Amino acid sequence: MSRCWLAVLDSEPERAFAIAHLYSAEGAPGGVLACWRERAKPVRSALRCDERIIDPDGAGAWISLVLASAGVRLPFDDLAVQQARREVLGRPPANGVSTLLRDDSHLEGAITVARGPRARELLRDDPFARVFPAQLLRVEAGILGRVAPPVGPVIERYGAANPWPWDRFE
Amino acid sequence: MAPIGGERFPNFELVDHAGNTRSLSELVGGDPTVLQFYRGWWCPKEQVFFRRLVRLQAEAEVAYSRFVSVSVDSPAVIAAFRAGLGARWTFLSDEARRVQEQLRLRETTDTLNDPYVPAVFVLQPDLTVHAAYNGYWFWGRPTEHELLRDLREVTMRVRGDWDAPTP
Repeated sequence: MSRCWLAVLDSEPERAFAIAHLYSAEGAPGGVLACWRERAKPVRSALRCDERIIDPDGAGAWISLVLASAGVRLPFDDLAVQQARREVLGRPPANGVSTLLRDDSHLEGAITVARGPRARELLRDDPFARVFPAQLLRVEAGILGRVAPPVGPVIERYGAANPWPWDRFE
Repeated sequence: MAPIGGERFPNFELVDHAGNTRSLSELVGGDPTVLQFYRGWWCPKEQVFFRRLVRLQAEAEVAYSRFVSVSVDSPAVIAAFRAGLGARWTFLSDEARRVQEQLRLRETTDTLNDPYVPAVFVLQPDLTVHAAYNGYWFWGRPTEHELLRDLREVTMRVRGDWDAPTP
């Protein structure tokens, strides 16, 4: 089970595995993105993610950060959530993607990482943005890595407790 | 030589449709996998066979089974072909024909394109060949029914909980 947590905070937490500042598409400060690798949830707003997208040596990137509104969540088996995963597999690959979850059965968000001159163009068409509201943000170096795209065509999660696209049962 | 049933497939490395170097073992992971070698986007037989695989992906996407397709086309060409097909699995480029030579899967009758001879292998997670199909003549290729049967047999072998736990 993934025990890698992500959260957007107003300021840097006292401790974290990796931290990087966020900026809006217009360059305005947008808080910090923090990651923890531990069993217990580190802060109230933290969501679990596929640990492969985390890399403290990763370069700066653009992200599409999709987060459900407070009190809203959808089952992973919801048709809209399945279709978003399907579309991610069919589109030009990003530098990394992970669904975000709090419990074992509900989607509460997603993060997609892209770099390069076409990054923003790619992220503006994030399939998860059709499920929940999305923000296009720039994140500094030091938290997000580059992961090869999912093999496909599997859209199911490997164990109910794991985020997608984590692709092993172990 | 290309392995036959019961033999282990070599763990080759090639570049995928997004430009990432991928090993076969990484791509197969822990799942039954259909490994397909195809001539190229230009071959009508391949276009028909791909439609078969695209139909099958709707079931594979919920059945923990993977597809990998390999040709000698460049990464840019395989990415465009993949997008046009509506395929949602990984395509690999063997532009240098290194793996083609290792497997002795060059179609010698096509000296213009030097493509792969069409072939399909159903692999177990440890890369053991469960079934092999020679698709030089179109009818040698696996039907959807045969692929479903093969994937079921591999799944039965590798999933320890195939017999569902019941009270």
